[in-house]
Parts: sequence; C-alpha cells; structure tokens
Amino acid sequence: MGDPLTTAVAWGRTVLLAPFGRRARNELLFCLAGVPLGLGLAVVVVWLMAFATVVALLSPRFESTWVAGVALGVGAVLTVVLAPWAGRRLGAVHRRLGAGLLGTPVAAPPSPEPAGRWRGLPGWVATGLGDGPGWRAVAYQVVKLPLALLEAYAVICWAGGLANLTYPFWWGLFRNHPPGVTLDPVPAVTPFPGRPLQIATYPETFLALGVGLAMVLAAPWVTRAVVAADRRLLVILLGPGRLALRVRDLEHTRALAVDDAAAQLRRVERDLHDGAQIRLATLAMHLGLARETLAGLDGGDDVGRARELVDAAHRDAKQALGELRDLARGIHPPVLDSGLDDALASLAATSAIPVELACDLPERPAPAIETIAYFCAAELLANAAKHSHAGRVTVQADGRDGSLVLEVGDDGVGGADPARGSGLAGLAQRVRTVDGRMRIASPRGGPTLVSVQLPLRT
Amino acid sequence: MRAVDPMRVVVAEDAAVFREGLARLLEDRGHRVCAAVADGEALLAAVAAHRPDVAVVDIRMPPTHTDEGLRAALRLRADHPGTGVLVFSQYVETRYAARLLQGTAAGVGYLLKDRVADVAEFLDALRRVAAGGTALDPEVVGQLLGAGRHAKGLAGLTAREREVLALMAEGRSNAGIAELLVISGGVVEKHVASIFAKLGLPPAEGDNRRVLAVLRYLEA
Repeated sequence: MGDPLTTAVAWGRTVLLAPFGRRARNELLFCLAGVPLGLGLAVVVVWLMAFATVVALLSPRFESTWVAGVALGVGAVLTVVLAPWAGRRLGAVHRRLGAGLLGTPVAAPPSPEPAGRWRGLPGWVATGLGDGPGWRAVAYQVVKLPLALLEAYAVICWAGGLANLTYPFWWGLFRNHPPGVTLDPVPAVTPFPGRPLQIATYPETFLALGVGLAMVLAAPWVTRAVVAADRRLLVILLGPGRLALRVRDLEHTRALAVDDAAAQLRRVERDLHDGAQIRLATLAMHLGLARETLAGLDGGDDVGRARELVDAAHRDAKQALGELRDLARGIHPPVLDSGLDDALASLAATSAIPVELACDLPERPAPAIETIAYFCAAELLANAAKHSHAGRVTVQADGRDGSLVLEVGDDGVGGADPARGSGLAGLAQRVRTVDGRMRIASPRGGPTLVSVQLPLRT
Repeated sequence: MRAVDPMRVVVAEDAAVFREGLARLLEDRGHRVCAAVADGEALLAAVAAHRPDVAVVDIRMPPTHTDEGLRAALRLRADHPGTGVLVFSQYVETRYAARLLQGTAAGVGYLLKDRVADVAEFLDALRRVAAGGTALDPEVVGQLLGAGRHAKGLAGLTAREREVLALMAEGRSNAGIAELLVISGGVVEKHVASIFAKLGLPPAEGDNRRVLAVLRYLEA
C-alpha cells in the first residue's frame, strides 16, 4: 500500500474494469429480473384497490353497507389465505435468483405447519395467519417495491450510459441535413431522471459521450449498492429467520452430541473388553495355574503362606472380573450390537416377572436410539418387578413411519408416578434428549402402561 | 504335567495375550493345541485342516467384533459334528446360548472367560464338550433360573433339588453332580427323578437330552 502511484493504478484498474466483470453482469441481470418481479406486486395492489373502489362505488346503489362488508370480508379472507402463499412462492424465485446471480444462498424457511384442529377454509385461514415466514416474504415484497424502482434506475444507468456512447457515431448519418433546416434537438439520458440533455450539434454529441462514459463507469457501483441492500433484505426476510436457523442448528448439534455420546460409551465398553477385561482374565488364568502348581508342592510354612496369598489374589481377580463385567454392561450392553430385538429378548429372558415380548422392527434404529430404548425397557422391567406385584409384563417394540414405539405394560397395582422418583423422571429426561415422548398411564389399582415414542434417527 | 487323555484343540481368540496364555495352559496340561487363530475364517480353515476334538471360540472377533465367533461356531457344528465347540466370552447372554443350543446340546459349551481361572473346572468342561457333552455357564443357568417365569414350578423344589437342577442345566453328569455336592450317585438319581416329576418333564435319556429338556422348560 506504500506507493501512492501503485495504489492509484490499482484503483483505476478497479474502476475501469468494473463494468466488464462477471459480477457486474450478474448484478445487472438480478436488477433486470427484480424490476418486473418487484413491480408485479404493485400491479396486484393496484388491482385490489380498484376492486375496493368498485365495491365502494357500488355499495350506495344497494343503499346498504353489507355488500361492502361482505366484499371486504371476502377480500380479507382471500388476502390472508393467498398473500403468504404467494409470498412464499415469489420468495422462492427471489432466493433462486439470489443464489444463482448473487452467490448468496439463503436456506428456505420451514414449510407452514397445518393448523391442527380446523379443516377446510377455517384451516386455511388459520394456517395463513400463523405463517410467519410467509408474511415475512410478503413484507419483502412490499419493501421490494421502492427497491425495484432503484433497481430500475440502475438498469437505466447502464442502458442510458451505453446509448449515450453511440451519439457521435450515428450523428453524421442522420444529421447531414442541408443548411438552413433546423431540426429538433435529440434528448440524451442523464443520471437525473426527467432532466434529459438536449443535443443539437455534432460537438454536443461528445458531451453525450462524456456523460455516457461517466454513467457506464458509475453504473456497476450504483447496481452494487442497490443489490447490496436487496441482498440484506433477502437474507433477513426470505431466510428461515434467526430463531428457526438457531433451532435447526441446535437440533443438528444436539443430534451430533447424542450420537457422539452413544459412540463414546460403545468405545469405552470395547476398550474395556479388549483391554482391561482380557488382561484381567489372563491374570486370573495364570493365578489359577499358579494355584494348582502350588497345591501340588509340599513344603513348609513358606509354601503355605504363598498358597494363601495366591488364593487371595485368585479370588480377587475373579471378583474384579465380575465387577468389571457388570460395569461394562451398564455402560453399553454388548448384546445391543446384534440388534434391539436380541437385546430386548435377553432382558425378557432374565426378567423376574414373565415377559411377553413382541418386536416388529423392519428397519434398524440409530445406535443412540437403540441404547435409549434398551435402557428404558430395562428400567421399566426392573420397576415392574420391584413395585407392581404384577404377574405378567408385556413389552412391545414397533418401528414404523420413522418412529420407534416401545410399550411396557403390566397387570400390577399401578400408581407409578414420575414425581415420586422411581427412575421414571430420569427416563423421561433421557427420552427427551432425542425429541422422544414418554406417556405413563398407571391409575391406582393398575394396570400400568408406559409408552415411549422415539424417532428412529437422532 | 501329562493329561490322562490328551485332547487336540484349536483356539480362536483375537486377543493375543489371552490366546497365548490359553494355549500355554492347555499344552502345560498335556493337551495339543493344533492351531491358535485370531478370527472366524481362520478358525473354520484350521478345524477343516486339523479335525480337532474341540475348538475354543471367542464370540467377539474381527472384523465386526460382535458375534462372528458365535456364527463360526454354528457353522462348525453343522460342518464338523465330530468336533466339540466351546464358545468363550467375557459376558454371557441367554439369547446366544439359545442360538447355540438350537436342536442339540451335544458337543456344545458356552462359558465365561473367567472360568478358565479355575483350571481343573475349565478342563473338565472342555473334556465334556470334546466328548460330545454339554457345558453351560452357571451364569446363564442362574439367569434362566432367576427369570420369574417358572417361579411357581421351581418353588415346589427343595433347595437341594434346585442345586441339582442348576448343575444338570450346566451339563453335568450324575457322577459329576455327586462329586460336586459330595453325595452318592444314588441320591443324585433320586433328586433327578423327583425334579422331573415335579416339573412335569418327560424323562430324558443322556446328559445332553437332559440339558435340553431343562432348558426348554426354563425358556418356555
């Protein structure tokens, strides 16, 4: 940056080359497309105003205002239903233009949520009223109105500037009239709308040329400024909205965290299995050999003492193996690796209450989901065994339509209450980490049915 | 130390330290380790080549580290009925036991790796399997007995009868049970008859059939 001359040359290059760049072309195309799209709404508004005027003019004829009222009502309903719908569709076109020409990809907002209870027209109205992104798209269209005028101005800068450049070249062809004849001066475009330059003589065409040159050089920058404003609006009003984006982002990162936690637990279990557990098993085996070898020796107190020590070490090693196995199973039950149905069958086989198991899982759920479902079933079975005095438990796992429904029911005494801390609250929490739901129906006197709904994928 | 009756063994275990320890233990007790391999494919090849009396198979082996050992064991049973298969694992699942014992319990074992710490017991189980018998881990049997499905039926048994039932399910012979419980063979026979009567099981000849009968009852 030190050399002022280099800086100046660089500036000059930028200014002179700007009109020829791909960026200038794309931005001009964006403005060109934006003008009709932006002004389109104005046409609709004008049409609506005309409609309202006609209604207003007609209503006195009927000497009552109810016609006007009905017409206004119909208009309002139409607006509420159609405006967000049209806004979304136009918004999609603008987003595509923005992504293709401006290199500003804007994510589409989430689809409108159908209003739950109502159907038909009331449903449409409710959906339309509640469609935030749709109304934001309408707002964009409204703001786009003046913006489209500015974009039109940018287009005029380009077109007028280029036209002005041509004046000196054709002047001679059309203006070699005989002396004495006076022709009207030819107007040339200036950057000031409504103030054209009047060109009457050949030397004046060079004035037009100069103005044109200035306009062509300035046009890319005018375009850029207008487009920059449009781009901001595009991002703010046609995107998913900051909150929706944040929610999407949080959902994504939470899914990653849940998957990662499941994968880590699996890894810990695997490391234990391939590391500490196998070493300990080998150690116990060697201690067992040593024990037998010592048992075969006859000797004095020293051998007796050694035998006692090895015996103790052997016992401890076996106990440690058992504890380590329980720990590993609590971290990640290895049988889950062969599928949730196998794991549930294992649970059922070892339940203290007879279990009736039915699994229908055509598609294997994500590992994290399987783990949650497994621990839910384990905890619910343990609860049933501890508190329900039930004679039978049913466990049902169904995977369809993207969700896994696990139902554990018993014919016991009921009265299961998450508020009374039976592990149910913890389960509900675990289920919620993947947007799952847990429903508990356990009236006093029974029966109990706990239903856990989980997505198949995190 | 020389074994009375040396066995020819193939070991499949992916953890080298345990594989070598086990091979040394077997050799030390006078048995012959024909091959010690690290995955299911190599196991099948080794068994085909050596026709051992028994194969000791780890459940979790490469490449997937889930249940390839179990699958290899099932194939061994189909392809080489003369070779006993002792499946060895760091945890036991009744589900795996059920898969392993499907159809027949002849020449099948399923034990926790911990059991190798009691060398004599382990070798006894291995010999049973090699001879076409059964060896089921006490943990599996305990899980099945603990599952409440048959609480009513089992409640009718005396404490001694429950002990005998568990040992039967592990695959032990009457003589083996008598030795472990320090009672006479005749007493064991009486207990067994009583258990079968109380549970309403049809009398079963041979230790393997007896295991299956008991397991069917417990798993039903």
